Amino acid sequence: MFKFIVRRILWLVLVLFVVSLITFTLMHLVPGGPWDREKQLAPQVVDALNKRYGLDKPLYEQFGNFLWGVVQGDLGVSYSFQGRGVTEILLKGLPRTAILGILAFILAQAVGIPFGMAAALKQNSTTDYASVIFSTIFASIPGFVLGILLMILFSVALHWLPTGGWGSPLQLIMPVICLAALPAAQSARITRASTLEVMRQDYVRTARSKGLPENVVRVRHIFRNSLIPVVTVAGPELANLITGSFIIENLFSIPGVGRLFVQGVFARDYGLIMGGVLFYAFAIAILNLVVDVLYAAIDPRIRFD
Amino acid sequence: MTVVTKIETVSARPHHTLWGDAFIRLRRNYLALAGAVFILLLALAAILAPLITPYGFADQNLDEIMESPSWKHPMGTDELGRDAFARLLYGARTSLSVGIFTQFIVIVIGLPIGAISGYAGGKTDNFIMRFVDVMYAFPDILLIILLRSVLGGSIYMLFLAIGLVAWVGVSRLVRGQVLSLKSRDFVSAARAMGGMGNYITWRHLLPNSLGPVIVSITFNIPRAIFAEAALSYIGIGVQPPTPSWGAMIRDGYNLIFAKPHLIIFPAIAIALLLLAFTFLGDGLRDALDPKLRR
Amino acid sequence: MKKRTIIFSLIAFLVTLSLILPACAQGDGATKPGKLTDPQVLRVNLAGEPNTIDPNRASWSTERTVIMQVFEGLLGFKQDLSLTPVVAREMPTTANKGISADGKTYTFKLKNNVTWSDGKKVTAKDFEYSIKRMLSPDLAAEYASFYFGIAGGEAYYTATDKSAAEKAALKDKVGVKAIDDTTLEIKLVDPLPHFLSLMALWPVYPVREDIINQFGEKWTEPPNYIGNGPYIMKTWEHSDHITLVPNEKYWGTKPFLTEITFKMITDVNAAFAAYKNNEIDIIAPPAGNEKTVMADPVLSKELVRYAELVTFAFQFNLAKPPFDNKKLRQALSTAVDRAAFVDKVRSGVGKVALSWIPPGMPGHDPNLGSEYAFNVTKAKQLLSEAGYPDGKGLPQLKFQYADTGSNPLIAQFLQGQLKANLGIDLTLEPMERKAFSAAVNAETHTWAWFGWGADYPDPQNWLPELFGTNAGNNHTNYSNKAFDDLAKKANIELNETKRLQMWADAQKMVIDDAPIVNMFYRERFVLRKPWIKGHKTTGMDGDVSGDMFLNEVYVQK
Repeated sequence: MFKFIVRRILWLVLVLFVVSLITFTLMHLVPGGPWDREKQLAPQVVDALNKRYGLDKPLYEQFGNFLWGVVQGDLGVSYSFQGRGVTEILLKGLPRTAILGILAFILAQAVGIPFGMAAALKQNSTTDYASVIFSTIFASIPGFVLGILLMILFSVALHWLPTGGWGSPLQLIMPVICLAALPAAQSARITRASTLEVMRQDYVRTARSKGLPENVVRVRHIFRNSLIPVVTVAGPELANLITGSFIIENLFSIPGVGRLFVQGVFARDYGLIMGGVLFYAFAIAILNLVVDVLYAAIDPRIRFD
Repeated sequence: MTVVTKIETVSARPHHTLWGDAFIRLRRNYLALAGAVFILLLALAAILAPLITPYGFADQNLDEIMESPSWKHPMGTDELGRDAFARLLYGARTSLSVGIFTQFIVIVIGLPIGAISGYAGGKTDNFIMRFVDVMYAFPDILLIILLRSVLGGSIYMLFLAIGLVAWVGVSRLVRGQVLSLKSRDFVSAARAMGGMGNYITWRHLLPNSLGPVIVSITFNIPRAIFAEAALSYIGIGVQPPTPSWGAMIRDGYNLIFAKPHLIIFPAIAIALLLLAFTFLGDGLRDALDPKLRR
Repeated sequence: MKKRTIIFSLIAFLVTLSLILPACAQGDGATKPGKLTDPQVLRVNLAGEPNTIDPNRASWSTERTVIMQVFEGLLGFKQDLSLTPVVAREMPTTANKGISADGKTYTFKLKNNVTWSDGKKVTAKDFEYSIKRMLSPDLAAEYASFYFGIAGGEAYYTATDKSAAEKAALKDKVGVKAIDDTTLEIKLVDPLPHFLSLMALWPVYPVREDIINQFGEKWTEPPNYIGNGPYIMKTWEHSDHITLVPNEKYWGTKPFLTEITFKMITDVNAAFAAYKNNEIDIIAPPAGNEKTVMADPVLSKELVRYAELVTFAFQFNLAKPPFDNKKLRQALSTAVDRAAFVDKVRSGVGKVALSWIPPGMPGHDPNLGSEYAFNVTKAKQLLSEAGYPDGKGLPQLKFQYADTGSNPLIAQFLQGQLKANLGIDLTLEPMERKAFSAAVNAETHTWAWFGWGADYPDPQNWLPELFGTNAGNNHTNYSNKAFDDLAKKANIELNETKRLQMWADAQKMVIDDAPIVNMFYRERFVLRKPWIKGHKTTGMDGDVSGDMFLNEVYVQK
């Protein structure tokens, strides 16, 4: 187990390198650079800017400089948020996005798993259909539409909640609901499907025929085993939520990390793009590692070779 | 008692393939059937749109701008006086193809990779899964912008761009399923009977891991339609005046305070489509479950 | 400001005539408050984190909005956009010897009671330092090219590869010198009649050498952000909000407001919702809401409309056939029913544009371009004269635009117009914003969405830079020797009447040749809470309406 984790972390270094290389290549292939404006800058200004940010050097040297900075723990500087380091920007935004993400994740699972489970245990009942319809409705509204609808209801009509920003718990409510909607629905569906699957397994029948009380069967056999696909999906989902959503942070004006990468791409802020992608790759890989470890904890049949 | 009935059914049952069997059982599930019928009708309506509505999707009428729903325009008109109902019908063409085609790419890539990874295990699995890690962090927006600028604003690029990035979820799911199924009795049995690796994967592991995969795909079709809406929202959507539900939602979003119906109708359309796919997916899942064979 | 010059702001609003609407109708500027009892807090939306609030480096309208509250330059603008001395004691003229007879040397006399927010005196040295810093090759200031007319400015700025000693030598040669604490002398390469306008812009506002040396990049964070304007910065929560409070040491009339909060809401609907939820006092509703707002009993009373110095157009690439054909360009221009767009699609917000320089600017000619007024018969005639009777033989036309805000709407409108009026099919090519800018800058576009906003209200800012042969922002590939010759003369003509006549003639040449299809002049369509008083708007406002005169705003419920 320990060896497994160490090996995966070593792999992680390679993954991060490959992601950086791909991103760096794409970033320079994409038309438009950081200084392309609607109103064109004078060529002298572009030269001076290139010089200032080291973009006058050959590409391999720029990439090398980036890597060397990363090794020293410096992700470079942002071009669009002038005078601020990418590391500083990410560290400042991360806790906010992570708080939102974790809350949304908890909400999604707390709603999704019981719903899915209940639907499966009473297949084709009213509960089942209700859970399908409920989760579908939530899953079928794009995040920005759900967000603005909540805003119209809670801010414009009722004046209960502020429309966005950061600082008070009230400002968390709407973005958390928006972030949780789709994963909750997804989680309910997956739980339902896998619970139905597990309920028909031999070991469940065996447990029942041994005369175990239904509650024990449900908790010990069905619940535990039906969580495997849920965990598979929940892992990346958590990673997704913690790294944030451009659309939700944009809509609710959350000063988090979720919109930085997209902002970076649209501004061709090479510093923010590279730092952002490395950060996302790192967060996602670590969370997936956690999921794999959790797998082993849940499903005793899986062993690390 | 159950055991006895089951044995009888099994013995009396004519031999069907997994899929043939599934089809028969799917027909018995009315909700799934309703879902399938809705999707087919929608597809048909999209294809036959010119016969259903007298308006074209690009016909502007500047004297009928942003009108509320009426007999003449059942879903009202948009900012350029175009009939929203016509745009919804024609938009279904775009949205259905975005949803289905991206999932096609997702399955073609994600399913075999996940299955191979899960079945082979060891070095292969590790390598594939690290590749999947790379794909998770893949800067898809950059790829989409690049594809669009190199290959033009065609909708096929959008399919490709969304599909090429979205397969990782499915492949991880399949892998998880395969890992868990691998050690089960029927696989061991197949292996003991001399089944080869590929044969076991394709014949036993894959069909048996399909349940959650199908559920996830039915969810991913609308997700792809959303992805298209999100891309429209941030300004890299389909080429106008071709309508898509995503683009309609984006356009309607800008007018949500002025003319809410412009966003409500496409949103309802997406919700209904999603509901249809969900019922169909659930029906398929049940139908494909070998342990449910009757 | 550049952000505003072209259209992409997710918030898209439209245009009119500040000259026609009397200032008091918008501003209530005439009535001064009695005793103010309500909390004097103004909350406005910056629509995004400013890239930098370093005056020397800034270039975007969001940045300018913050800078203008904290700093004051030698000169400034009045509400009618004429110039007025601020830190300078008087306007330099040839009569008061502020401008030399050859028009190449400017001498500014400073007031001696202007202080920084930490109490130190503002001296000519601060201006000398600021201008030289702005022109420094290491800072890479984006607006620096505006000031290359200063002697030695360009040589110093472009010395990026030189040694430190050489840079220092070039810096000393820059023609900016503090003669004493209250006298600043600036030498120019050529006489520039628009130079005083440049001296009213933010890149040459004074900054503090000691502070910048001490804090480096962090000097723009509070409390290091020392300015000489009516406000100082209290907090800057990045990407969330900026709070300004009055500068206790301000030399001029103290502002009424005790606090200004700049929120950073990027989504237009969210910003509108925030306005409706009383979180924001001034906002532009999302485009498309014009009709509903005007019909709303409450919102219609909170409405403020005024003209902006912004023109929207479609620019042809004359190097790409068939757009090298003047008759074709004229045919296309005549076939667009601009009034239908402004009156029907935009419910009358904005003003039809037939010529380039917008109303409210010196150089605007209301009669120019009347030959392009919508006329299908004439358009067909021109198309036929162009060699494409009824569009026959015309290759597929393509139109490029950045896929944001109302651009798709306008592009589809153009597409519909050409189809309906000339039977021509136009292919739309939406592009991601930067890709679009890159394509236009590289001139790979064929026909593209185009807009321009005034950096300063002078026709010189509207013509040579855009239509001069090979000029920096000339992406139509328009080249006309007569225009170039005239522009060259007008650029250095010191007689104001003659100069404006030259620019008027130059604009006429451009309009005749139709390298662009003028579409409309933008009108600001803003909602303001009824308790906000003293709000003064101009045609050159940044993202925040009235950002030039926030020190006169007060709250009275």
